[in-house]
Parts: sequence; C-alpha cells; structure tokens
Amino acid sequence: MAAVLQLADVSKNYGSFQAVRNLSFEVERGTICGFLGPNGAGKTSTIRMILGLQGVSSGQITILGADDGRKVRDRIGFLPEERGLYKKMTPVEAISYLGSLKGLPAAEGRKRARDMLEQMGLGDTHKKKMKDLSKGMAQKVQLIASVVHQPEFVILDEPFSGLDPMNQQGLEAMIRSLAANGATVLFSTHVMQHAERLCDKVVLLARGRKAFEGTVAEARATSARYLEIEGALDVNAVAALPGVGTVETLSDIDGIVTLKAALAAGAEAQHTLRAAFVSDLDVRRFQLREPTLHDAFIALTGDHPDDDQRHKATGTQIEEAAQ
Amino acid sequence: MNRAMLIAHREVMAYVKTVGFWLSLLSLPFFAVLGGFMPTLIKRAEPVQNYILVEEAAPAASSGLAAAVREALEKDYDRTVLSSLSIAAVGEAGITGRDTVRKAVDEGGYEAGLAALKQVAPRAGASFKAPRRDKIELPAPAELTSAADGVALDAKAREWVQKDKSEGGQDLSAIIILSNKDSGPAARIWSRRAGNNDMEGQIRDALRDVNRQKAFEASGIDTAVVAQVENYRPDITLLSPRAASGGEVGLRDRLPSIIGVICGFLMWSLIITGASMLMNGVMEEKSNKILEVLLSSVTATELLVGKVLGVAILTLTVMGGWGIISAVGLAATLPDVARDIGAVMLTNGLWLYLLLYLVGGYLMYAVLFAAIGAFCETPRDAQTLMGPVMMAMVVPLLFMQMAVRNPDAVILKVLSFIPPFTPFIMSARAPSQPPLIEVILSIVVMFVFAGLMMWLSGRAFRAGAMSDAKLSWKSFLGAMRHS
Repeated sequence: MAAVLQLADVSKNYGSFQAVRNLSFEVERGTICGFLGPNGAGKTSTIRMILGLQGVSSGQITILGADDGRKVRDRIGFLPEERGLYKKMTPVEAISYLGSLKGLPAAEGRKRARDMLEQMGLGDTHKKKMKDLSKGMAQKVQLIASVVHQPEFVILDEPFSGLDPMNQQGLEAMIRSLAANGATVLFSTHVMQHAERLCDKVVLLARGRKAFEGTVAEARATSARYLEIEGALDVNAVAALPGVGTVETLSDIDGIVTLKAALAAGAEAQHTLRAAFVSDLDVRRFQLREPTLHDAFIALTGDHPDDDQRHKATGTQIEEAAQ
Repeated sequence: MNRAMLIAHREVMAYVKTVGFWLSLLSLPFFAVLGGFMPTLIKRAEPVQNYILVEEAAPAASSGLAAAVREALEKDYDRTVLSSLSIAAVGEAGITGRDTVRKAVDEGGYEAGLAALKQVAPRAGASFKAPRRDKIELPAPAELTSAADGVALDAKAREWVQKDKSEGGQDLSAIIILSNKDSGPAARIWSRRAGNNDMEGQIRDALRDVNRQKAFEASGIDTAVVAQVENYRPDITLLSPRAASGGEVGLRDRLPSIIGVICGFLMWSLIITGASMLMNGVMEEKSNKILEVLLSSVTATELLVGKVLGVAILTLTVMGGWGIISAVGLAATLPDVARDIGAVMLTNGLWLYLLLYLVGGYLMYAVLFAAIGAFCETPRDAQTLMGPVMMAMVVPLLFMQMAVRNPDAVILKVLSFIPPFTPFIMSARAPSQPPLIEVILSIVVMFVFAGLMMWLSGRAFRAGAMSDAKLSWKSFLGAMRHS
C-alpha cells in the first residue's frame, strides 16, 4: 500500500527544549493510524508540523505527495485538540463556512451539513446557535465540519476527549466509516482502548521520541502475558513459581493481595497454576491475561500513558512556532 | 470567492447582525443633533429666576443705582438677543448675513435686526423667536423698602428668601441689596440657592457698567459719546489671495480648518473603533479556539487580510452612513453650508487625500491591534501592550486642535511626518491646503511605514495565533523579529 504520509527524521525544538526528536513513520492510504502517547509527548507538535502550521526544525514531511501540508490543505480534514466554533452561528452555518474555506461551494456545504447532522442524530439542532448546544453536540458539529469537504486525509487530535461513552462509540463508528470510504485517518490519543479497537497501525510516542510503529498485535507482542493471582499470598513465593518473571502487587486488602505476575516467554500458565497448588499456596482467583496496548506502552517506554509530559511554552517557543 | 474574501464576508455579516453595529451607525448623527440642540435645551430647562432689587438709602449719593443696574441688565439681555439673531443669520446667510443683522440691531434695535434677518435669511427669520428672559424683577414688598439699612434689611431679606415666595405668591430666587460704598457701587445678594453664580456674575457686570458710567460722568465725559464708543463695531474685512472669492475671506474660506479638525477627530475615532473591533474579534477567536481551525484551512496572511478587509468594509459602511445622514441633514437645514463643505472637499482632491490617510492609518493600527489580539484571550491580557499604544495615540488628539488656528505650525509639520500620527495630523491640516510636497511626502512615508507594520505584525499574528505563551513586549517583539 502506498504511503500518503511520511515523516523522515523530523525534529521540533522550542528553544533548548526538544519537543519531537528524530521522528520517522509512515501511514498508508485508507488505513486508520493511532498516534499514541501521554499529554506532552509531542503529538500535537507533530500534527501541527504535518499540517504546515509549524515548521520542522529538521527532517522532512511528505503528505499526499506534497512537501508542505499547506499545499494540500484542501485535501486534509483537521480536528484540533482544543475545539471551538463561532458561538453565534448555527451548526449548518458553521459547517458550510469551514467547508467553504476548504473550497466547498456554500450551497453544497449547507446540503451536506444538514445530511450529516441528520446522520449524527443532530437533525433538530439546525436552527440553534452553537452556544446553545451541549459540549458533546458541539464536538460532533466540529467533527462534521472537519470532514464535510470529504478530505482524503483526516487528522483528529484527541478526538475522544470530553465525549461521553455513547458519543465515543458514535465517533469510533464515524472514524471507521471514513476509512471505509477510502479516507486515511490519523488520530492522536492518550487513551489506548480507542486505538486498540480502531487502528490498523499505531505509532507510540514518549518524550518526543518514537517508541514503536506497527500493528496493535505487534505492539501487544512486545509485552509479556501475565497472571492475575488473588489470595493470602506471599510475593516471594509467587515469584518462585515456574515461568513467573516479575511480580507486582496490585492491591492488598486485609492480607488478601492481588498480584500481577509476568509470564516468561514460552511459559505455560497451567504449569504455574499446578505448581501453586503443589506448593499449597492460598490461591482464590487465578486468571491468565493477554497484554493490552496500555501494557505494551508501559513496557516499551517505561512511561505511563496517562502521565503529563507537557512543557510549558516560553517566549522562545513563540518565535519558533511561527517559523 | 477567495478565502480572504470569505473571511471578510463572515466578519462583515457577524457585525452587521448585531444591534451594536446599528447603534454605532446611528449614534453619531443622533448625538450630533443632540449636541446642536443641547445648549438651547439646557437654557430652556433652567428655571426663571425672580428677584427683587432693593437700594439702600445711605449714603446720600445712592439714588439711581437700582435704575442703572436695571438698565445694565437690560443691555445684557439685548446682547443675548443679538447673539441669537446672529446665530440664526449665519446658518442661512453666512458671515455677511450675520454682519448685516448686527448692523441693523446697532442702528435700530431688536425690531430692525429681526427685519434684517427676515430679509437676509427668510427661513430663519420666519421661525425666529427672541430668547426667553431667564431673570424677572418683582416689586419689592414694603417690609423691605421700609427696613432700616444694614443688619435690619439683611434680616428681612433673609426672611423673605427663606419664605421662597414674593408678595404676589411667585417663586422668589434672590433679593439684591444695592448700596453705594466709597469704593463704588456694591451689592449683597440673598439667594435661595447657596451657589448662584449666574446671578452673581450678571449683577457684578451690571455694577461694573454703572461704575464705568459714573466714572465717565465724574470726569465730564458725555455719556452719549461713551455709548457711541462702546457700541462701535469696527468694520474689518479680511482679504486673502487664497480666498474662494479671490479677495474677501468668507465662511467658505474658514470652513477648511473646521472641516480639518472634524475630519481628524472622526478619523481618529473610526480608526480606533475599527482596529479595536478587529482586536476583539481576533481575541474572541483565540479564546474560542477557532484560530487553529481557521489556520488549517487558510494561510495566516489570508486570515489577517480577510479580517482587516472585513472590518474596513464595516468602518467604511459606518463612515458612508454618517456621511450620507450628515449630507442630507445639512442640505435640508443649511444648504449654503452644505454646498461650501462639498466645495471644500472637492478642492484639490481633498477627499482623496482624506481617504488615503484613512486607509493608511487604518492599515497601520488594524494589523498592530490584530497581532496583539492574536496573543490574547481576554482584554486584560491585551492591556500590557495597549497601554503604551493608547498613550501614543493621545498625542495627535492634543495637537489636532492647533491645526484650526495655525495649520502650518512647525510642530504640526514635524508630527505630520511621524507615521503613527500622520493620518490624524494631516487630516486636520489637509483642508487648509498645506504645500503639496508635504502632502505627498507624508502619504508616501505613511504607506511605507504601513507596509512595514503589515509585514512585522503579520509575523507576530502568525506566531501569536499558534502560541499559548504569556504576552509581554519581549515575547511580542521577539515574535515580530524572529518569526
């Protein structure tokens, strides 16, 4: 599959602070790519560089065959992390206006806006002002506005933040439908579950560096399977069981502990369970767990995806931002 | 429609749909009309002051003082009437008409003046009403006239003023006790209000007149001669080769400096209003997180140009609206003045210069304000930079008035070439036809500076729109320099 987005050794510096370091990855046409990392990992800076809103400090970005996102901006849809629309506009006005800035004729923009609002269950909001919509509704409107011109490449920066579970589900369906219709989707998030369900490919970012690029399954494979064992247990006794690597205490309530015991590569959970009974350990619950993307992220980066790695902007950053 | 025009269109529509836009469009004509009628309204709203004149008998030489004061007060009223007749004449018949009416009043009094007004300014004459007397004398009650001078008389006066009413039941505002002292005529005014500056001033003037009259008489000078000398109005004709008539200077020739100052102030308020609207709009978009969305669809330059253009269209619409309303109003009420203003505006392409100063001034300030707005989410954020900018903008306000009296003063010439002040100072000077080289040079310098401002502010705008950094002069100038 042809790559529609290529980053080659891209870095972004804000004064002495390196927000993005030697980042390289590719996104193939028609796929959904998750761009994952904690807040402050460099996701938004990378997205802004892809869009051409900020220049790169070094490296090269190619998007839809252009060396600058600004040259193909009409073929890109973008939902920024911090969202907002004109409060006094109606949803139809806001969507058709932003569509018109992407080259969509106003009448066609209004028609598509009405149809898409209907599809998203916002048919009765046509005549309301944006300020009168709930946050979830406004976010849906902004999402529609970012794709109303039917872009080839859609970039969504933290699209799930602020949405309730119901709306998150709706958004996931919409992202799948965009890809099904041939669009390439790159979305950033620090919530791994969304990426796990949606992505053909993930790029993990931590402290400005790429930690991993590949499929979700490949990412999970980098992390060990583990056992969740509950009972009146001694950590050292569990660690001594065959096939068990490191042991972590998840909880301890009145002497009843829940332990997370990593399984060594190739080890069988059944053997470990049998050995536990033989050793007469007080096991009350025993469960084999496959690693999640969340686990993989921790294993790959040593960081927690919910950490905040943000670096506050400085005066120098302003200067850099406009380069 | 290209993207900048789409931005401009949205900008215009966003403001046109607001009540504030229509209020600002109609506010100037409303306040202009209100301002014109305000002195009359204030005058009419003032209550009539009824007063009583009492003259102390001692010393013996005091007789006739009250009569003399009455005469002086009457003369004062005559001057008010003359002033009203003059104002009525000048609107319709210009300065020449005013002089004709004054002459008629001097020679034949009010009736002759009114007849002259009807002749030179028929419409004004037909509707003219002499101003209302704001002070009326009431007869003095016996209690006052029979009271002993000094303390007893004061006690009675105090009593009557406290009662508020005269013998006839009318409101009583003041009792004026006249006396002749060695130093000259004097008065004690018992007033219902503690502060009655108006009455105090009129009585003081009247006593001065009386004193002067007596002094002349004491020196053996004929009072008729004194009156003639005092009423003499020298016939002065101001001539200039640059006058519209080629000789005598008329209202038409005095208009340019008046128009200049009005244009300067108007331009100042239009530019500040337009640039502030722009800044507030950008700040709102920044705080609502719309700027980043827009910048993913248009370039920073398209966005800035679109916004500047949109607010410019609004500003010109407001100015055009004011112009049309003023022109129609003037043409209907003062057709001669309207014709003269039209002639001044068309002379030597003045309207074009004014338009250029408006465009240049607006561009300079609009891009600067927009760049400041791009760094701010609230007006409080903007105050850091706006304080010094606004202080600098007060400078032309202080000097524009000087342009009425002396449009070619050296300080004004110097300020004309300092680009941030050029639009205002030159608008005030331009109607007085300064040397052409100054006009052209100031326009060139202004537009070069405006171009520089657009370039620098464009960079700052781009940087500010994508930045979350705290605004300071250092970060702002850094963004201008390095972006």
